[in-house]
Amino acid sequence: MQVVSTKQKIIRMIVYVLLVLCAAVMLLPFLWMLSASLKLDKDVFTFPVQWIPKHPRWANYHDIWTEIPLLTFVKNTVKLTVIVTLLQLFTSSFAAYAFAKLQFKGRNTLFLGYIATIAMPWQVYMVPQFVMMSKMGLNNTHLAIILLQAFSAFGVFMMKQFYTSIPTELCEAARVDGMTEYGIYFRIMLPLSKPALSTLTIFTFVNTWNDFLGPYIYLTREELKTIQIGLRMFITQYSQEYGLIMAASVVTLIPVLIVFLSLQQYFVQGIATSGLKG
Amino acid sequence: MRNLKKTIVLALVALMAVFGVFANGTAETPATEKGKTELVWAVWDIGSTAYYQPIIDAYEAKHPDVTIRMVDLGSADFMTALQTQLASGSSEFDVVTIKDIPGYNNLVKKNMIVNLNDYIAKDKIDTKQYGGTTEQISVNGNLYALPFRSDFWVVFYNKGLFDKAGIQYPTNDMTFAQYDALARKMTSGNGANKVYGCHYHTWRSCVQLFGILDGKHTIIQPPYDYLKPYYEMVLGEQNDGICQNYATLKASSIHYSGQFQNGSIAMMNMGSWYIATQIQKVAAGEADPSKSWGIVKYPHAEGVAPGSTLGTITSLSISQGSKKKDAAWDFVKFVTSPEGAAVVAKTGTIPAIMSNAVVDEIASMPGFPTDGNSKEALHVGKAYLEMPLSDKSGQIETVLNQVHDEIMTYNISVDDGLKKMGKEVQKILDTN
Amino acid sequence: MTAKKTEFKKNLVAYSFIAPNFIGFAIFTLVPMVFAFILAFLDWDGSPYNPMHFVGFKNFANLASDDQFLAAFKNTIVYTVETVPLTLIMALILAVLLNQKIKGRDFFRTVCFFPYVASMVAVAAVWNMLFNPGMGPVNEILRGFGVQNPPGWSADKDWAMTTIVQFSVWKYMGYYMILYLAGLQGINPELYEAANLDGCNGWQRFWNVTIPQLSATTFFVLVMLVIQCFKVYDVVYMITQAGPGTATLVMVYDIYNKAFVYSSFGSASAEAIVLFALVLIVTLIQFRGQRKTEA
Repeated sequence: MQVVSTKQKIIRMIVYVLLVLCAAVMLLPFLWMLSASLKLDKDVFTFPVQWIPKHPRWANYHDIWTEIPLLTFVKNTVKLTVIVTLLQLFTSSFAAYAFAKLQFKGRNTLFLGYIATIAMPWQVYMVPQFVMMSKMGLNNTHLAIILLQAFSAFGVFMMKQFYTSIPTELCEAARVDGMTEYGIYFRIMLPLSKPALSTLTIFTFVNTWNDFLGPYIYLTREELKTIQIGLRMFITQYSQEYGLIMAASVVTLIPVLIVFLSLQQYFVQGIATSGLKG
Repeated sequence: MRNLKKTIVLALVALMAVFGVFANGTAETPATEKGKTELVWAVWDIGSTAYYQPIIDAYEAKHPDVTIRMVDLGSADFMTALQTQLASGSSEFDVVTIKDIPGYNNLVKKNMIVNLNDYIAKDKIDTKQYGGTTEQISVNGNLYALPFRSDFWVVFYNKGLFDKAGIQYPTNDMTFAQYDALARKMTSGNGANKVYGCHYHTWRSCVQLFGILDGKHTIIQPPYDYLKPYYEMVLGEQNDGICQNYATLKASSIHYSGQFQNGSIAMMNMGSWYIATQIQKVAAGEADPSKSWGIVKYPHAEGVAPGSTLGTITSLSISQGSKKKDAAWDFVKFVTSPEGAAVVAKTGTIPAIMSNAVVDEIASMPGFPTDGNSKEALHVGKAYLEMPLSDKSGQIETVLNQVHDEIMTYNISVDDGLKKMGKEVQKILDTN
Repeated sequence: MTAKKTEFKKNLVAYSFIAPNFIGFAIFTLVPMVFAFILAFLDWDGSPYNPMHFVGFKNFANLASDDQFLAAFKNTIVYTVETVPLTLIMALILAVLLNQKIKGRDFFRTVCFFPYVASMVAVAAVWNMLFNPGMGPVNEILRGFGVQNPPGWSADKDWAMTTIVQFSVWKYMGYYMILYLAGLQGINPELYEAANLDGCNGWQRFWNVTIPQLSATTFFVLVMLVIQCFKVYDVVYMITQAGPGTATLVMVYDIYNKAFVYSSFGSASAEAIVLFALVLIVTLIQFRGQRKTEA
């Protein structure tokens, strides 16, 4: 039986207050976004700030689908994001296992080289890459975006760090039992890395979902474009339709939230260590 | 907790489905039929530009064996995106639209657009019909683009506000001093009811380019002392609350159109492209406080004749990588001809070939202000391009923008700012 | 089997794991990167119709007297030094707090992740509006508290960098919180039990168990944070456009300008190599530090 002391109660209260304050700071801009999504463009940035719009303009949520082909953009973005995420998950964790648990020639140098490339800003090699992809005939294809995003050093780095914290004894024991490395990967490492895989999923999903520059350069045909390009289409040379931008931003936030919420359950304490006892 | 979460997830999915109901399918992309030549045209803002489709329809009607397909590269980074697209030497684009001078300069330097001199000579195009703008975009006597649309800067004013204040409308012949005085007279109220006498958008051209209208200076040549009186006028207005604060405007992405439509601005210096937007917003009932409006010519310096103003041209070029250059030229020729100009004018946009007929056409558009002054304002004297052609125009533009930003936010004094501008631009001009 | 054969087979197996990721990476990312590196020694304007000239180290030499580059260099370092510690500490605190069994934990976690997820265009517009020096809510509140001259935020060259840092911390602490949360899941609860038996209180448990156990995660977070800060571009583009003047001009912004506005791909690549070298040095130092702790 646990007796909750007054001290613990006070600490808990303080923690709650801090969290609520924190949540407020995080959420305030979103409340503004929601409110702005129901306004006419000319009213979005008026001062003093009108938190609750006088005449909520629900039509904004209809207009975003008609003014730009948002449904197509959403379909394209979903397709790209799912494919890239799955590819990243598999190839990154596969490679990370080798870097974390296997001894082989050139391991450290190769790993360092991999990480080093993360340091290069994409803007620098964007044009040579585009020229190369164009010559391969990949301009204006979804395949180009997939090939660019699915093989990243970042995923390998992250998975390797998590694998490092899984005790090597597990793998040793399996090897003694005669399991191949592939077996170890599939039967032991993968199941244990659910938190890491969920994390990588979330990150890759969000990154690809929100990616602007890549699709902007490679996808110039309307039917291939993605959500982020669509949002910028509301900013034309002579006007900025922020009411619609906010509405579209709210709508396209939902799938990401769904993914995040459904992966939450994997952040449960103790999964990774459940194999150690006994 | 598990159940609550499940409910939330389901609710979100349901919400998505509801949104999906609002969504309409997209239009089918028409397939290219066999035997037709397809020209690909790089443009921006297809959805909000009135004249693209009419031009295409008019051309395709006369040339049934040609289809024109537009590709929208977005307006924000159009020239950069275009240069990237063309960097691979691809034959994807045939006709490209030229949006600004620094971008045009880059394309010429990079040999990405075709020298049109031979085409022009062969078809005997008279470049004088473009009002002197082609001279401003010639590079060593070579012309790489032909303008099809020109915009010039005027002063928009809200007649309703002037009526309410009992003050006379601005005229087509105002000096800067008179313009400033009028703005000060018109400023009134505070808080939500405040009326600003004038409004300057955050582009540097709204302030800096007052200084080149007497034709004595060019914006890429230091020293910049000649800009001092104009910066002082505008900063004075900003200090006294005659116009909105630059920092506020920049930070809040407030667009000039919303401000004018809200009826909080008495006068606004802006380009003629805004005419079509204003007409459309009033017609849609979204701009009631500004539904009685007019335009007058840009103010002029003391001793200079009225009618000089800033000009912005939009031109067409042919991509070097195109495999259908002759067909592309035929289209370019059409759009930049008096026939094409008529199509453009019908949509309320000002074509590059200005004639009395075009002025009449625009002035008689439904929604265009009916007073004589507004029509008179369409007659432009000399239009100076925002930035002359120069090899270093990109770098100079960056410096001009940076210092403008600093001056307008009081981070540097006008004198120090202009000195800094001069010093840095000179450095750019001196390095090879 | 001979030792050499086993060794060879082991290597082969290892390479087979790496192959799927590496091959894709090598072809589509590594090759263009190497080309971009080479560009630093050339003079090229980005056109397929114009030749490239070899100019040796001239691009690098020019950087030394390039005002834009010098401003960008300083700003990038300042930005990194300010953003990294703040983000890391906030992320750690949030992760520890949200790892406890408290009501509404999932809600709070989602809320913290919001800023990272939302589209940059929308969020930057909101931020600028909230911090509008003239009439934004933040300054209104400050004035309400009696502050005479509230900061000019993005319009003031002394506050612009702070504004960018604040925005970055706000946007990214949720992201790194997730990383820490995942790391916290890997800590063996037996360690905490042992600490309890030894009579440790909450704070001591945190210092003596949590932090050391998180060392691999912290290393990862630190490396990624530093790299991300050095590479910052979107935030600056959206909030201050590198202004006022050059107060928030950062290296990637300048690189972008050099490549796409001045059409000088050679000098853009040269600056990129300087940036890359900087990051490499910092990352190597971190690697050494980590190696020592792991030993």
